[in-house]
Amino acid sequence: MRGIKLLSMAGAVAACLLVAGAATAGSRSEASPSGAAPSTLIYAGASDPTYLDPALVSDGESFRVTKQIFESLVDFAPGTTRLVPALATSWSVAKNGRTYTFNLRGGVRFHDGTAFNAAAVCANFNRWFNFSGPFQDASATLYYQKIFSGYRRNENATLGKPLYQSCRAVGGLKAVVKLTRKNGPFVPSLVLSAFSMQSPTAMAKYGANQGTIRNGVFAPIGTYAFRNPTGTGPYMLEKWTVGESVILKKNPRYWNKKQPRLARIIIRPISDNTARVQALQTGEVFGIDLLSPPLVATVRGNSRLKVLSRPAFNVAYVTIQSAKPPMNDIRVRRAVAYGLNRQLVVNSFYAGRAQVAHAFMPPSLPGYAKDVVKYSFNPTRARQLLREAGCGPPCKIEFWYPTGISRPYMPDPKANYEAFKASLEQSGFDVQTTSMPWRPDYVKNVNQGTAGHLNLIGWTGDYADADNFIGTFFQGDSPQFQEKNAALDKLLNAAEQEVNQAKRIKMYQQANRLIMQNLPGVPYAHSTPALGFQKRVQGYYTSPIGTDLFKTVFLGGQ
Amino acid sequence: MSAAELEIAEIQLEQSTGGLWNEAWYRLTHNVGAIIGAVLVSVFVIFALGAQWIAPSHPSDDVHLVAGILQPQPPSTEHLLGLDLQGRDVFSRIVYGARYSLLIGVVSVGIGLSIGLLLGAFAGYFGRWPGSLVMRLMDIMLAIPGLLFAIAIVAMLGPGLWQVMIAVGVVNIPIFARLLRGSVIAQKENEYVLAARVVGVPRRKILFSHILPNSISPVIVAGTLAMATAIIDVAGLGFLGLGPQDPSTPEWGTMLTDANEYLAAAPYLAIIPCLAIVISVLGFNLIGDGLREALDPKLRGRA
Amino acid sequence: MLRFVVRRLLLLIPILFGVSVLLFFWVRALPGSPAESLLGERATPALVAAYKERFGLNEPIWRQYVTYMETTVADRDLGISVATHRQVTDEIRQRFPATVELALAAMLFSVSLGIPLGFIAAKRYGGPIDHGSLFLSLIGISVPIFVLAILLKYIFAVRLGWLPSVGRIDLLIFDAKHPTNFYVLDAILTRDWSTLWDVLKHLILPAVALGSIPLAIIARITRSAVLDVQNEDYVRTARAKGMSPGIVDRRHVLRNALLPVTTVIGLQTGLLLSGAILTETVFAYPGMGSWLRDAIFNRDYPVLQGGILFLALVFVLVNLVVDVAYAVINPRIRYSG
Repeated sequence: MRGIKLLSMAGAVAACLLVAGAATAGSRSEASPSGAAPSTLIYAGASDPTYLDPALVSDGESFRVTKQIFESLVDFAPGTTRLVPALATSWSVAKNGRTYTFNLRGGVRFHDGTAFNAAAVCANFNRWFNFSGPFQDASATLYYQKIFSGYRRNENATLGKPLYQSCRAVGGLKAVVKLTRKNGPFVPSLVLSAFSMQSPTAMAKYGANQGTIRNGVFAPIGTYAFRNPTGTGPYMLEKWTVGESVILKKNPRYWNKKQPRLARIIIRPISDNTARVQALQTGEVFGIDLLSPPLVATVRGNSRLKVLSRPAFNVAYVTIQSAKPPMNDIRVRRAVAYGLNRQLVVNSFYAGRAQVAHAFMPPSLPGYAKDVVKYSFNPTRARQLLREAGCGPPCKIEFWYPTGISRPYMPDPKANYEAFKASLEQSGFDVQTTSMPWRPDYVKNVNQGTAGHLNLIGWTGDYADADNFIGTFFQGDSPQFQEKNAALDKLLNAAEQEVNQAKRIKMYQQANRLIMQNLPGVPYAHSTPALGFQKRVQGYYTSPIGTDLFKTVFLGGQ
Repeated sequence: MSAAELEIAEIQLEQSTGGLWNEAWYRLTHNVGAIIGAVLVSVFVIFALGAQWIAPSHPSDDVHLVAGILQPQPPSTEHLLGLDLQGRDVFSRIVYGARYSLLIGVVSVGIGLSIGLLLGAFAGYFGRWPGSLVMRLMDIMLAIPGLLFAIAIVAMLGPGLWQVMIAVGVVNIPIFARLLRGSVIAQKENEYVLAARVVGVPRRKILFSHILPNSISPVIVAGTLAMATAIIDVAGLGFLGLGPQDPSTPEWGTMLTDANEYLAAAPYLAIIPCLAIVISVLGFNLIGDGLREALDPKLRGRA
Repeated sequence: MLRFVVRRLLLLIPILFGVSVLLFFWVRALPGSPAESLLGERATPALVAAYKERFGLNEPIWRQYVTYMETTVADRDLGISVATHRQVTDEIRQRFPATVELALAAMLFSVSLGIPLGFIAAKRYGGPIDHGSLFLSLIGISVPIFVLAILLKYIFAVRLGWLPSVGRIDLLIFDAKHPTNFYVLDAILTRDWSTLWDVLKHLILPAVALGSIPLAIIARITRSAVLDVQNEDYVRTARAKGMSPGIVDRRHVLRNALLPVTTVIGLQTGLLLSGAILTETVFAYPGMGSWLRDAIFNRDYPVLQGGILFLALVFVLVNLVVDVAYAVINPRIRYSG
């Protein structure tokens, strides 16, 4: 019996030290790439798609796949937010600002052989407009509701007057879409995968318009959204095994003869950040999305791997619930702005891949104003403001953060939170912590205005328009911010309906100035999300809104 | 839970007949493993109780910038075990972490033990239908895998230190209940109990002054081992993102989990809390093993 | 014997009913609802309220339970997953084989190593092998399973590149057939030996991680059981009769020592399922464990209710089988009632 127990202690130590050994040993073997046929790309995201009818989903993992199978009338030029022709080769607005004419690309066919033409475009618009029953649930048609407000027959009081009026096919390749009112974001929003063109025959054949609600969940009934999604895109669905992979194969009749360049794309879900990078290191996947900042160095340090950047198109911010005392006092809100050490957080936890945000929208977007009020970390000033406001110091506040989540704008919420908490306490606040799982508890409380005085959250843009950022946040009632500002509301309404781009830009700039004076929250970071790849993966363009196209991708030599 | 459950099965197989305390103590103090275990556990307890005197700095408030930003720093003479990603002294966090682990272990085992014992003794003594009703309830609880059960409870109560302790404790209830029931049933048929009954000693008195004390030795062993599993289970919950509410809490499992993305860049951030967990768990396991050997009559004179 | 089995099977009904009630009320007691989980950042209070109204989530809870049972019985299925929109039964068909395969591999690893280790340790009582195996088993139960999993993966997959780090199969084998979803079995049935080798490679690391604790426990139980049996009268008698030590070991010692070991193996079902949650998370292995974990975070009511109920059924059945097996091996046990 002697000795052994000593031995077992030594063993415990050894077990843990093994990690050290392995970690510091340097890459002894860089793992051989699996004997891949050079015509297949394996790519890892964080989870499975929900299902593959783009009109009925609203999450990035689903769009990652539907973007390859389907195409919209317009799209972004690769890697930018500049609108370019896609299935529509050109478009124009009539003088009334409500009638749009789209000229369509000729000779395009859906995967099932159905011709793509003006009738198909109208069929898609009418499908969305005529959705009824379970399809009017926000879990199914969130983006439609956001842009088009309502349906032909609204079945829910929260829906508004529909933006869409009619669609008319003029000859084979000209579609005329009429709206009920002027709307600036209409064309930019058409890049959303939710508004991509689907084959009317396939939808009818595979029951795309049958859905139900059971156990409180919308679910398509037909096989369309699971096995037969049919678009015009460069890839077609071959096989989908939930939890394991989505396999896409080349569309041999794609209208651009030079694309796609690969025979197959396999997309697999790996939810853990570290596991995703490790699969890249071992060669089990060739590319990954959502590379977290601490792991960027690991990928950089590997001679066979490279890091790509996604253009910053997001904002991380701290909401201030300004209806709750003491936050109803602008001086306390300003003290918060001075008390958050945003520069330190951006420098420490984004691996040099972010800049401090001074407004609620990214600087690259038209409507951004450089001359807003800026607040830099100043604990003395914060304390002074608190004294003037008669709240402490210490001024007691609740500050919330989410767990179980990593967002492009907020890769490690907990790290951000801890540093912010420390800097606020240094600035005369007494911070009470609450944390909750992101889904669904945290987001619900923040959105309903039942969370703390301060809360960490953020936003990634869906389409390239200021309306998608500050319009979403501050137009109309927004319990998240509890901000009631009539002047701002009026300005944002006017901007949404304005179709003259120069005038719209001026209005949004003015809105940004108002917001930063009034401080309904404090924006703190625009991040540049990272992706990891094997060096041989080439022709990959990163989209600012996160829906990358695989049609240009090819595999080079080692 | 699950590991403890098996250990207990093991104990039940070699159940003691009780009443060997002096000899047990002698054997325990002559068992090298148990002594090492005791030393490890004492260090752990000393850390836990004396954290504010032992730790060189505050575990969450004292922040040190490295090159102007918050970042990990390897062990140095200034900071014995280095700095974590928030620029805090890791040694201090380990020392304070012992306090949380001890608290978690004691409270959760306490919950499982007390409620489990009550139910088990009840079920064992009042056989027939009230007893079997309780045991069927325990069966239902046991039918759900332990960790899943714990996650379920935390999901319901919300994440937090107390919620985690309750979850781990509740999962332990049926284990202790079964263990004690088995013991009590075995004791109930013993001659001295029959004798007491014949003499006319009241039922409750028989249960509390005869049966329970003699059924308790496997429970002591199981309790010690359950301390070990409790620490591991809490670390597992932390790994799944269900740790304490305040992120600056120096809880070992959470520290280990936070270091996951830094495994390549700063491996010591993972190794140090890992060692702390393994060593303290080992300590309790060694003591538990020693106790088992000491209290097991079949092993008498062997070790 | 038959009476015993029937009795236990009947007992299944109240247990499963109890589990289903417990599950239903627990799921409803979770904060938040699938509405918020589906809508994410885009969940406005108005949308959430409309959602709850629509799907009866505002009804009294007993009413919801009755509705749930009605639809479950009427449709003979377990509902549709909130997260994947698939039938829960379909998902179980896909994921349960994965976990069973993993659990069996872990069990195989722990039994085939644990029993010999324990036996040899007992035979060489007090010697270095005994000490070594005791030491290993202590480490085995002292290292958290996810630490071991991360460690194994880091060393053998990431650093050495010997074994794969994620999933069940190399995705470049997209033409493999999966009639049963037990990939090992499928590969054997289709005589696809290279796929078989690939699938086995994917099983090694998770199975070793998951099997470590059972290994430790089986080795310890075997050791102490062999020690006990060795001193029994019949063994001494056999030896005294001059029977060869090998035959004594095989016929008497090992056979009798294995009795307690079988019980312990049965008890491990729960342990393996718990461990699977952590192991599957680390290795992104598409089984029941990681599925249920995600379901908790997503408030996926139908998956939680259906999935856990199914696991409970399996768990209870496995224990029944173990009890019956135990009675068959050990004629001294009579399950009279």
